[in-house]
Amino acid sequence: MKKYFQNIAIGALSLIKGLVVTFKNIFCPKITLQYPSERQSMAERFRGLVDLRVNKCIVCSQCVRICPTACLSLSAKLTEEKKKALESFKYNMELCCFCGLCEQVCPVSAVYLNKIYEVASFNRQDLYIDLLNPEKYVKFVNPAVK
Amino acid sequence: MVKFLDIIFNTGIGVALLGFISASAMFLIWWERKVSAWIQNRFGPMRVGWHGLLQPIADAVKLLLKENISPASADKLVWWLAPFFAVVPAVMAFICMPFDKNLIARDLNTGVLFMIAITSICVFGIFMAGWGSNNKYSLLSAMRAVAQIISYEIPLTLSVLTVLMFANSLSMQDIVRAQSKYWFIVYPNLTIAFIIYIISATAEVNRAPFDISEAESELVAGFHTEYSGMKFAMFFIGEYTNFFIISAIAATLFLGGWQGPFLPPVVWFLLKTYAIVFLLMWVRWTFPRVRVDQLMAFAWKVLTPIAFVNLLIAGLFLIKTR
Repeated sequence: MKKYFQNIAIGALSLIKGLVVTFKNIFCPKITLQYPSERQSMAERFRGLVDLRVNKCIVCSQCVRICPTACLSLSAKLTEEKKKALESFKYNMELCCFCGLCEQVCPVSAVYLNKIYEVASFNRQDLYIDLLNPEKYVKFVNPAVK
Repeated sequence: MVKFLDIIFNTGIGVALLGFISASAMFLIWWERKVSAWIQNRFGPMRVGWHGLLQPIADAVKLLLKENISPASADKLVWWLAPFFAVVPAVMAFICMPFDKNLIARDLNTGVLFMIAITSICVFGIFMAGWGSNNKYSLLSAMRAVAQIISYEIPLTLSVLTVLMFANSLSMQDIVRAQSKYWFIVYPNLTIAFIIYIISATAEVNRAPFDISEAESELVAGFHTEYSGMKFAMFFIGEYTNFFIISAIAATLFLGGWQGPFLPPVVWFLLKTYAIVFLLMWVRWTFPRVRVDQLMAFAWKVLTPIAFVNLLIAGLFLIKTR
């Protein structure tokens, strides 16, 4: 008989403990974000889309050679001072596996992976990117907020 | 002529009650989603209307527009009738719901009995849905629901009986008036009765932690697995209306109903009801589901004996004091 009531008392007490925990949670700050208007900042080493600092590039083609999916392609030209310069730098995002090897191999940190993560598109042409175009990623930044 | 006016007046009451019921069901759905979100550190619905207040209306429109699919092997008549059995008794229970001193559709002199009787009919709706669907999950869920609701009806009725002994009446208004001095919950016997009532009422409306008849992990969606569109919505409305009813009965029987200082009586009634609604939501989003055997053992081995002993002590107390 004693055990019967003891069981009930212990059970009731544990239930109240649980209720206290959830009641405190009601007033906790919310951990979800109101997505299109509020955004999370991406982690420092987040691997987004391949990007290029054009004036740093020495046209060594190491990124093109190391790319496992061959999504990068570039062509060079000679400037008047007989130096190599970029003529075109194409990036096929459709093939890219975001491994970041191009960033690692680049001796002058010209190629890097940026923080853009909203990369969906209705048009396949949007995924073939000319890295020399300064406005190449405008269409991917905050597509939901107009 | 008088009879004609009477019909119009009664229809008006009916329409007003139906309006209140659907508005309250929608509000409860929104409130439930909000409370669950807050407990889980989320926002809940935020997009449709102010803090998602119009979300239930959007959902209702969606459900109205959905196709009404009936399973090929269903028992058609039973299957079609089940949603009505789920909603109509819930609506009928509002007949003797005392919102205010005079705001009550019919103050039956057997009001409490009527309430308990009419809310018990909901179990037919659930069983018909389970049987008519011709689906193993639905049938299993319906069997569980029937066993559960019938078992918990006993402690629930016994705890209500304790109140009736104190109030000396079966009429809802008389019970509220009997609490003009103190709310019934202050008596130790009735505090226990209140706890028993709340627990068994939670089981009665199939809410967590007693939602084994809708256990998603075992039974898909339980008895309403095969229902879509407006039929599903009717089950939903019935569920939330029943939820409101049990909270309102608890507020009336134990917390003094519409009585209270300063504020208008209707506001007091709704405040108390929604306080109990919040309590039950809080419980739902805190505790895990119990097992079937635990559920039955709890009803028969814990709640029923305690309710009986409580009733006995209450009777002795009343004999002593009167």
